[in-house]
Amino acid sequence: MNACPERIVHFMHEYLDGEISREHELELKSHLQSCEACQAHMHELSDVVAFVKGAAHIEAPNDFNHSVIARLPKEKSHEGVSK
Amino acid sequence: MDALVNKRIKQILKGDKDAFAEIVDLYQHRLYQVCYRMLGNRHEAEDIAQEAFVRAFINIHTFDQKRKFSTWLYRIATNLCIDRIRKKKPDYYLDAEVKGTEGLDMYSQIATSDELPEEELMKLELQDRIQYEISRLPDKYRSAIVLKYMEELSLQEISEILDLPLGTVKTRIHRGREALRKQLSRQPHI
Repeated sequence: MNACPERIVHFMHEYLDGEISREHELELKSHLQSCEACQAHMHELSDVVAFVKGAAHIEAPNDFNHSVIARLPKEKSHEGVSK
Repeated sequence: MDALVNKRIKQILKGDKDAFAEIVDLYQHRLYQVCYRMLGNRHEAEDIAQEAFVRAFINIHTFDQKRKFSTWLYRIATNLCIDRIRKKKPDYYLDAEVKGTEGLDMYSQIATSDELPEEELMKLELQDRIQYEISRLPDKYRSAIVLKYMEELSLQEISEILDLPLGTVKTRIHRGREALRKQLSRQPHI
């Protein structure tokens, strides 16, 4: 893989960001067809994205809202609080 | 949604706390989630997310209503998270030279000391594993990855939240993905 141009990895990330140009995409695809190491790299990056996206949505605790309101300053005053 | 939020903001500016409670309802889960992913601890996440809302309330007059409110809120919260992360690493700990490591300081030791042995790693449930791997990312990559893949925000929005040029955000996401790739690929071979 050391022989592969550095831009190939850069194209992989452009691809993952959905911002790859037609030209770069063609170069990336033709390179991946001929290079197993880069193909594996691309697969691993796609797996990373799937892995992170697999994170469950997390919800704030039930009393969160009340706790915030309880923490608000008693009297709202622009002058008093801003430094 | 923006029209509703701006209406509520006008009420808050007149001192209406009930209008602020509605704002909290709208954004609490998103803000809590980003804090939890950044800090990896539910108590701290709750504390920091609440603090973010309190700061938003106090500074609501500085919010420019032509902009997106959620971006502003996320920015307050991520700044607080990053401050908290930095405070957790005391200076003496980071600057101390480690004996027998020839000039390596504790910075280079943190990542390795965080690493779980493989048998421990295998016992983790998927969700814990995801949080564990995210927590091992350097914080500047972590914030970008969390906002992109867990909050599902656009690169443009992330650049506004983190107050960084778009190019820097892209670089951080690229490096974050590469760091995760190495973390994930190393494990099975140990």
